[in-house]
Amino acid sequence: MNNRQPLFRVVKKNQVDGRKVILSYLIAVAVALVLGAALLALMKVNPLDFYSKMITLGIPGNRYPARSVEGFIRLFVPLLLVSVALSLSFRMRFWNVGGEGQFIVGAICAAAAAFLLGDVLPTPLVLLAMVVSAALGGGLMGTIASALKVRYGTSETLMTLMLNYIALYLLRFFGETQGAWNIFLTDDSARPRFETFPDSAQMPTIEIGSFSLDVSLLVVVVLCVLVYIYLKYTKHGYEIAVVGDSPNTARYAGMKVGRVVMRTVFISAALVGLAGGFYVSSAGALSTSVTNNVGWTGVIVAWMAKLSPVGIAVTSVLITVLQYGCQVASTTYPNIDSNFANLLQGMILFAVLTADFTARYSLVWRGANKEVSA
Amino acid sequence: MAERYAVEMKGICKRFGSVVANNQVNLTVKRGEILALLGENGSGKTTLMNMLSGIYKPDSGTISVDGTPVVINSPEDAKRLGIGMVHQHFKLVDTFSAADNIWLGVEKAGMLLKKDRYANIEEMTRRFGFDIDPRKLVCNMSVSEKQTLEIVKVLYYGAKLIILDEPTAVLTVQETEKLFAVLRRMRAEGHSIIIITHKLNEVLELSDRVAILRKGEYITTVDTATTDEQQLTEWMVGHKVTLNIDRPVVEKTRPLLELRDLTIRSDEGAVAIDQVSFYIRGGEILGVAGIAGCGQKELCEAIAGLRPIEGGKMIHKGENIVGLSPQAIIEKGIAMSFIPEDRLGMGLAPSMSITDNMILKNYKQGKGFFVDRQSGRTAAQQVIEDLGIVTPSTETPVRRLSGGNVQKVLLGREIKAGPNVIVTAYPVRGLDINSSYAIYEILNQQKRAGVGVLFVGEDLDVMMALCDKILVLCHGKVMGVVHANKTSKEELGLMMTGALDLTHKYEDKPAGIARDTLIAEEEEQ
Repeated sequence: MNNRQPLFRVVKKNQVDGRKVILSYLIAVAVALVLGAALLALMKVNPLDFYSKMITLGIPGNRYPARSVEGFIRLFVPLLLVSVALSLSFRMRFWNVGGEGQFIVGAICAAAAAFLLGDVLPTPLVLLAMVVSAALGGGLMGTIASALKVRYGTSETLMTLMLNYIALYLLRFFGETQGAWNIFLTDDSARPRFETFPDSAQMPTIEIGSFSLDVSLLVVVVLCVLVYIYLKYTKHGYEIAVVGDSPNTARYAGMKVGRVVMRTVFISAALVGLAGGFYVSSAGALSTSVTNNVGWTGVIVAWMAKLSPVGIAVTSVLITVLQYGCQVASTTYPNIDSNFANLLQGMILFAVLTADFTARYSLVWRGANKEVSA
Repeated sequence: MAERYAVEMKGICKRFGSVVANNQVNLTVKRGEILALLGENGSGKTTLMNMLSGIYKPDSGTISVDGTPVVINSPEDAKRLGIGMVHQHFKLVDTFSAADNIWLGVEKAGMLLKKDRYANIEEMTRRFGFDIDPRKLVCNMSVSEKQTLEIVKVLYYGAKLIILDEPTAVLTVQETEKLFAVLRRMRAEGHSIIIITHKLNEVLELSDRVAILRKGEYITTVDTATTDEQQLTEWMVGHKVTLNIDRPVVEKTRPLLELRDLTIRSDEGAVAIDQVSFYIRGGEILGVAGIAGCGQKELCEAIAGLRPIEGGKMIHKGENIVGLSPQAIIEKGIAMSFIPEDRLGMGLAPSMSITDNMILKNYKQGKGFFVDRQSGRTAAQQVIEDLGIVTPSTETPVRRLSGGNVQKVLLGREIKAGPNVIVTAYPVRGLDINSSYAIYEILNQQKRAGVGVLFVGEDLDVMMALCDKILVLCHGKVMGVVHANKTSKEELGLMMTGALDLTHKYEDKPAGIARDTLIAEEEEQ
């Protein structure tokens, strides 16, 4: 009798215990940290020191602790908004991986508004114009993909992905090509360099002692709450859920599926564009690395949080602690550069995703059945 | 020594997670006999057979072939042991010819395809008396030809035991007769056959012995000659049920929905519904019979406004509703529920709660931007109580419910909206007897309330008992409308295959067309 069987099979678990999932996440993070510690020890850095600096964002013993918090917020705001925005599309099973491109276009539009109107209008109007144009720009980027999908059934994954590169090279073009028409570049420099925004285009801050709170944080938190309500309690949110679950059923219930897709993707992409607008307004200038990969990290955050808005908020905080903390910690050690931060991030994310898999699936090894039946 | 069985299964247990699919099941098949495996849905028949054909492995218990204990790890093992299974859903490559489909699974076929494979297979099919052209492409075959091919395939691989999973579900009466003749011939040649079925009359007609499962438990095996329908049903469901479906007599009102010369195309662009005319009165159930895929789906979708209409009229209460949006048709009080093969595809959002599914068609009602879930929850509670839906709560995702409960949720919602026309396709698809009767009762209640019901069904016995009239479709054409209590299964079967065409029998007096239903005239009276 031939007894050949695959070495193992992957079996989906029937019941997933929430506590077990969280426990396995914690174990995963611990494993990644231990591996990282081994690497750090190899480089003659005390891992405990490094990690404590990382988790505390280097605040204890820092002469300017407020700067650390501000830096943290600057990374956190775009990530939170982009993740929440992408989750809108994902709930409808519209695989919007164009966060990068929508973010960049939002940033370019906001910058254009800043340079064109910055010296003409008062600050509130300039900011409003920037925010609106950023949202419209991002939204239109999304609409290109959604309109093609609705009309011709193209793959939104490919479309949004390719649009990312169009946006990126458009930004580079603006950053490298000098000319009288190019409002984005500074006139003072012989080499092409992005102009800093006029003061009226800077995101306002609220001063609390030595700490200046970026207003965009408050706006983004409010937006996230609104998205939560939108998804959970409104008719639009209901339509998104039905279309995501079964487009046939949606059609059957009399919903105009194409319209729901177009509308939702527009909102999703507009929010991503808005994140781009907020970011450049806070940073005060464009740069070719303006996205900081947030369009990709946002995808990971949205999925790790299983698209739940609350989960996204928590995950964004954790990922930002990891990103920013690593950056801060590695600057204190001369023999560690920011690449180590990226490496550690990668290890932790990979471990968590593995843990997620093992929490939901189990491997049945060859011959395991016999033990059961015996 | 005890009698040697071709296959003997002893004490078979199989669980999926916490669900026990088979518990201590015993099954024996002799050489040259037809064994019917009978049981309600979810009683573990298919699971048991999948273990015999190597798709699953039993958790415990032994399988013996010709008295020798064996371990079956894969379908290849089963094939080597001479066990072949014809699945409910055919496993054929559409773009291949019959012969190539057979060759696909032949071991040691060599690198080259030889021309004589056609002759080879032709000779074999002739030996068994099959009617199949080895060069014909599968995509050009009818359902019954495909099934024949599946049987030829397992025979070609040298199967001694052939398992058929609900083979007659997709066949007409005549095709079923043909299949049974083939099976009897195979029995005469010494093959063993296990046939899974729901249909008691087929069991009695064909089999030598019957094995009965109920909820994964083995009940008994009896000689067919010593039993009858009533007894088998009792074993199957565990207690006495009346086999009679109620058909209340209700005063019929004037036609609520009338179709005139309706023509619809399928997704592939072929004419799916061809100049169909009929009408539904209030207080009657009109059955639609036909072989699977002869336009039922397209008809339902067209009535619900989901499919563009090529030509003709749909008149609802004197108003042409062709071209209205699905939303507008819902508002007119026409409810359509279609249970597709996967049971969840159309009409329900499976991962959403019962509450959310209740409000699917009326979530837009009520002012403002927000969804009114409170009324949805009340409606869900009501439907759960009225129809006896088994669920932990109103917030349970529909996907987690069992088949019968899912279908009750769907029908419950449609009825809750207070429609005047209900179009329901396969409402009892895959349900066990008890759930089916519950659904029939729901439909009868609607009929008593004066609703016009269009019932697209599969089981002719049920349709003849439940419906007032039966409309028979064949390739998108109406073959006729007959009174359910005056027709016979043979007549319906002939009409389904197109052999009998009542519509065009008397050219001067076309049957099934509502000549008396010019609604404007009626209203003048």
